[in-house]
Amino acid sequence: MSVRLQRARPWLGTLVEMRVDAADTACARAAIEAAFAEVEAAHRRMSFHEPDSDLSRLHAALPGTAVDIDPRTLDVLRCALELAERSDGHFDPSIAGELVAQGFLPAPRSPFVPDRGANWRDVELIEAGRVRLHRPLWLDLGGIAKGYAVDRAIEQLLAHGADIALVNAGGDLRAAGAFEEIVHLRGADNSAVSGAVAIRDAALATSIGAATRRRSGNAWIGTHFDARDRRAVGLSAAASVIAPTCMLADALTKVVFAAPAALTRRVLDHYRAQAVVDEAGTARHYSNAA
Amino acid sequence: MHVRWLIPFGAAAVSQAAFATQYMSVQQAQQEAFAGASEFRPTAAPDAAALAAVGAPGGWSPQIFTAQAGDKKLGWLIVDQVIGKSEAITYSLALDTAGTVIALEVLEYRESHGGEVRMPAWRKQFVGKTAADAAALNRDIKIISGATLSCRHLTEGVQRLLKLYQAALKTPA
Repeated sequence: MSVRLQRARPWLGTLVEMRVDAADTACARAAIEAAFAEVEAAHRRMSFHEPDSDLSRLHAALPGTAVDIDPRTLDVLRCALELAERSDGHFDPSIAGELVAQGFLPAPRSPFVPDRGANWRDVELIEAGRVRLHRPLWLDLGGIAKGYAVDRAIEQLLAHGADIALVNAGGDLRAAGAFEEIVHLRGADNSAVSGAVAIRDAALATSIGAATRRRSGNAWIGTHFDARDRRAVGLSAAASVIAPTCMLADALTKVVFAAPAALTRRVLDHYRAQAVVDEAGTARHYSNAA
Repeated sequence: MHVRWLIPFGAAAVSQAAFATQYMSVQQAQQEAFAGASEFRPTAAPDAAALAAVGAPGGWSPQIFTAQAGDKKLGWLIVDQVIGKSEAITYSLALDTAGTVIALEVLEYRESHGGEVRMPAWRKQFVGKTAADAAALNRDIKIISGATLSCRHLTEGVQRLLKLYQAALKTPA
């Protein structure tokens, strides 16, 4: 016999929901507490808003200064930079200056304004857990950090003896163990379900342009960009990605929006990920990964 | 990693589905927050003036329980509800006698009043392989990807309860 426990708490700007099956209640509760502790750590380290986060300390330092960064933040930064490279810079975590300029993020305490010519190549990960910005830029790890928190929570749940585990942070989710979870997918019209998928031992993330866009004059502005020309993308699209980890799934939704189709397919295949993009009443599937 | 696509995209939305999850009962929240308690005494909510003083909206009525171990007061468990644009969240906040937060748990989440998610007619577009898939899809929605739920209302609710503690529950020094 096993017991099922389900808990939800507010973190990462959304509701983080966990479900475990474990041998007994004490085991399930210990697993969930350890997992929420990981989520809290990711929230505090990688928040754009929290004044003591690693990102805030990095933004407060002068360009060229090496800043000590938590290994967890480094993991996320490393993943973001790798995806920036693989996507030829269409995806770029240094786009945060654009998000601040358009009012989607608050201006950080920083001695500089971002250089519009700066990009991910100006972020250097140096030895012993330190990071140096070579030009003035601001980083946003938002969704990727959320995905990472989900992955760390899943690791904790399994390490504490959970037989099966599910973590869902506002739509960034991951399932682990011998069960299939059916997930309904929102489409480009944020209020409608447009698809469904069953996943096992996999992560899924969805980004929806309509959920965050707003009017500016008579045009839409949104939170997703093709960083190569700083053009807004995905304003009327939804991208769902299924990947081995939730950090990858979330980050890849941004690649799907920003990169050309052929490049998107190469990047998805590299990570053994699948995707579906819903836009203007048609769906494009990227599901032939080997 | 294993994936089965069950419903194709682009299906017309025709029906509505509400979406709700219950995580914990009030009793579970009480017992987990105060394992040593022998009793949870229902405690009268502060009067209207005290509620107004903490900026409470009209009709606000949090349920307050005092956790006791015999004669010793351990703290309070307060059950409250916040209502957002399309969701209602019932949650509990456990405070010790010094007003320190012991636990914050969501008890129940509901998408409600106009926040229903429109669903396609599953049977018509169904591409899954088994009858079990069909049944699962037609049951309540368990998880919707891309939910953009903000926890802002919940954060505001907790701030309000902490003010309520200062104004009405805290033992005068």
